[in-house]
Amino acid sequence: MSAAQAVAAQEAAVAVPPRFAGARRFVRAFAHRPSGVTGVVLLVLFILLALVSPLFIGPDQLDVTKADGPLLAAPSGHYPLGTDQAGRNVLLLLVWGSRESLRVGVIATALTVVFGAGVGIVAGHYGGFVGRALMHVTDWFIALPSLPLAISLAAVLGQGETSITIAIAVTSWTATARLIRAQTLAVEARPFVERARALGAGDWQIMVRQVLPNVTPLILVSSTLTVAGALLSEATLTFLGLGNPASITWGEMLNNAFFNGAFTAGAWWYVLPPGLAILVVVLGFTLTGRAVEHVLDPRTEDRR
Amino acid sequence: MTAVEDTAATAPTSTLRVRGPRAVLAFAIACAMCLLGLTGSAAAASPSRASPASVSPASASPATASTRSAAGKTLRVAMDSSGVDTLNPFVSYFNGSLDLFGAIYPTLTVIEKNGKPGPYLATSWSLSKDHRTWTFKIRPGLKWSDGKPLTAADAAWTFHLIMTNDVAATANGTLVSHFESVSAPNPTTLVITTNQPQADLTYVSVPIYGIPIVPEHIWKSHVKGLKSYQNDSFPVVGYGPWTLTGYKTDQYATLDANKSFVFGAPKYGHLIERLYKTSDSAVAALRSGQLDYISGVNATEFTSLRRTSGVHTVQAAGNGWNGLELNPGARTRGGKPIGTGNPALKDPVLRRAIALSIDKKTLVGKVLDGYGTVGQGYLPPAWSQWVWKPPPGQEQKYDPHKANQLLDKAGYRRGRGGIRVDPKNGKPLVLRLGIHSDESEDAAFAPYIAGWLGDIGIKVVIHPMSMSALNSDLGKGDWDMLIDAWTSGPDPTYMLGIQSCTTLPNEQGTGGNTDSFFCDPRYEKLFGQQQSQFDPEQRARIVGKMQKILYDADVDIMFYNKRQKIATSSKVTGMNTGTPDAQGFYPAQSSFWSYLDAAPTAQRHYSAGGIGLWFGIAAAVIVLGAGAAIIRHRAGVDDRE
Repeated sequence: MSAAQAVAAQEAAVAVPPRFAGARRFVRAFAHRPSGVTGVVLLVLFILLALVSPLFIGPDQLDVTKADGPLLAAPSGHYPLGTDQAGRNVLLLLVWGSRESLRVGVIATALTVVFGAGVGIVAGHYGGFVGRALMHVTDWFIALPSLPLAISLAAVLGQGETSITIAIAVTSWTATARLIRAQTLAVEARPFVERARALGAGDWQIMVRQVLPNVTPLILVSSTLTVAGALLSEATLTFLGLGNPASITWGEMLNNAFFNGAFTAGAWWYVLPPGLAILVVVLGFTLTGRAVEHVLDPRTEDRR
Repeated sequence: MTAVEDTAATAPTSTLRVRGPRAVLAFAIACAMCLLGLTGSAAAASPSRASPASVSPASASPATASTRSAAGKTLRVAMDSSGVDTLNPFVSYFNGSLDLFGAIYPTLTVIEKNGKPGPYLATSWSLSKDHRTWTFKIRPGLKWSDGKPLTAADAAWTFHLIMTNDVAATANGTLVSHFESVSAPNPTTLVITTNQPQADLTYVSVPIYGIPIVPEHIWKSHVKGLKSYQNDSFPVVGYGPWTLTGYKTDQYATLDANKSFVFGAPKYGHLIERLYKTSDSAVAALRSGQLDYISGVNATEFTSLRRTSGVHTVQAAGNGWNGLELNPGARTRGGKPIGTGNPALKDPVLRRAIALSIDKKTLVGKVLDGYGTVGQGYLPPAWSQWVWKPPPGQEQKYDPHKANQLLDKAGYRRGRGGIRVDPKNGKPLVLRLGIHSDESEDAAFAPYIAGWLGDIGIKVVIHPMSMSALNSDLGKGDWDMLIDAWTSGPDPTYMLGIQSCTTLPNEQGTGGNTDSFFCDPRYEKLFGQQQSQFDPEQRARIVGKMQKILYDADVDIMFYNKRQKIATSSKVTGMNTGTPDAQGFYPAQSSFWSYLDAAPTAQRHYSAGGIGLWFGIAAAVIVLGAGAAIIRHRAGVDDRE
């Protein structure tokens, strides 16, 4: 990371205005990674679909009391992915499900990253008793098995998206916290931090002005990868029946299919699409995250 | 008197979400692990292992092994999905346990295939002129499975224990609440005296729904510490068509036939009741020939099983209802209001509007795939003597227009977002809907109710809850609307009783098993009358009046009575008892008779898997495998770096 910044700073001084140089370099390097580009394209497709879906999907298609299709019918011209047990179009459910699934994934990730990064920076900056205590708490959370913990949390908090979001955040912030703490320690050992301190910068100033900008790329990578995990956890928890049965998410679709006998009925058109959608989106986030990681860390780049 | 709470019976399915359906959980975890593996280091991913887990039965069972050794001699049935809470019949109330007790402990009478009580331990009975003293002639010469004589003294001891011991009364105390004394003047005579005429006394001790009689010489020493006694020294000493030889918690129970059973020995030498926490895995076992009988598959599974060769499907008359309960103002027996129920629901107009806004026909068609009838009267169609239908012109039909009119007239104006406002306190009408998180049917209902109530301007917030959380909220009155389901035996007293004022909680807010805080003095009076009315037709008339009161009160809105959906392997015959009616529906089935009458057929069994299903799984495996391969490749690149 440090090398990257040093190089970036040097180059910026030579050619373009420093503000955009980093971004340009980043985009150029990223564009050279086909897997990363594939991931971004997948994500953009799904996000666009999620954003525009309210234009052509309304309660008439999603409300079980208003759906009028055949029950659990195989794919046909009118229903490209068949229908569910209430006669709704599975394709539309799939598109609509991306909204809720992505929302839970992104919000849970935001919570994870904010909390994890906060704990990491504070622990790394203060060290001593505070740092040790925070890291012990983190270790304790790492040791807890995350799926049972998330299930119990969702059960205690009451079912629904909110509690699932919180449950995911509570179980996944630890990795970020450890990562950020390590980076904070590295950054604080640098001379410019020492200089800032010598000039009289307070703890807050150092954490926000000096450390935070230098750990941000790491946070970015970590969050992209966390979204993928959060999406999966969301699907897992809703599949296990901890979601809100009235909402439409991919996990909820799988739950409905499984517990209402779609497997026995051989209704693959109801089971496969949400599963594949989860796979594709998670793949998209993972590919993107990996690519960003490589671009931001030239050490791995050089050795290629 | 002989009702069993369906919701109570499904209690373990609620713990299920935490502890229960190993198959589901294992599958989900396998999937999660598989996909997590994909996102992270692909090393852990093995997608090809995860997918088949979803269809293969929970595990290779000892059941399967033992059938191979005694081919054709073992009947393998799916246990009721509630499972076994304990093998101690005094404190157990899960349906899975009750089925076992019906098979291994005797009762005074038995519900015959025509739905009426007939002789079992008692060969005949007579009633004194004042209708309070019953004299039962007990069958002579019977022996418990350990060879000790089975006499009237055992029956008297069992009843007496339930009457006098609070722990022993846990499960069946209400059944003997009117008993004054029980005695056995000689080994073949049992005399029961009640403190008021009790019309349903011959239903008090029947298999499954009533009190099982236990051997005094075994249980005498366990009266102390009865609460924690597990009754698990095998073989369990009893008398019945079967003897319990083993039980593995949450897995299976093994039973051996009683060759000298009074109604004739079972045709199978052994019986295995295996627990499947999801019916899909039971269905898969049935298809692959590892299971012979499932009672209670869901609608989608039933439809597909009907097309499966080697599987015989029948429908039996529904012995229960599914419906919506509205909180009419929770209160204690003394009338003190309790709980956080929305006060708007005290208004009968609002309750009627809700009743009119629900399209029960659509629920039967879509949630139940048509395997049931629209619910009207409170007592289920299986016991035709008690069935009540609203008189013509008084039916509550689906009519959202009328519901809206009623609400408009009563002053519930539409406010922001089309949600009506309670004229009494100016708050928008937002009602909580509690559902059982472990019941797929509840989850299926919920969006319909939310949709229909939305049409009449009521906002519904769905609260999925575990069985125990829901029951605790119910008892405290902390609810607005709940989805509930009950099943009933042939005698209606218990089912009618849960609507009685006497089942409201006491002043401390505890106790009582009220269904929905219904309490009506007219109903109360009729309830007393029906219990001491010995003429069946008179009694049916009184019971009908009570059902009309319930119907008009809109506190329990009946959705439907679903038919029992049964699938049997064609290797077995005789399991469906009774004669089907004109439409081919059987009378209500009892595991007591089904397991006793089951006989092997000479036919060969062909199993047929759903081609689509296998295609789907194959596709999933290929796709997951490809994904894993890509990631693994990438991970490899990382490693090289």
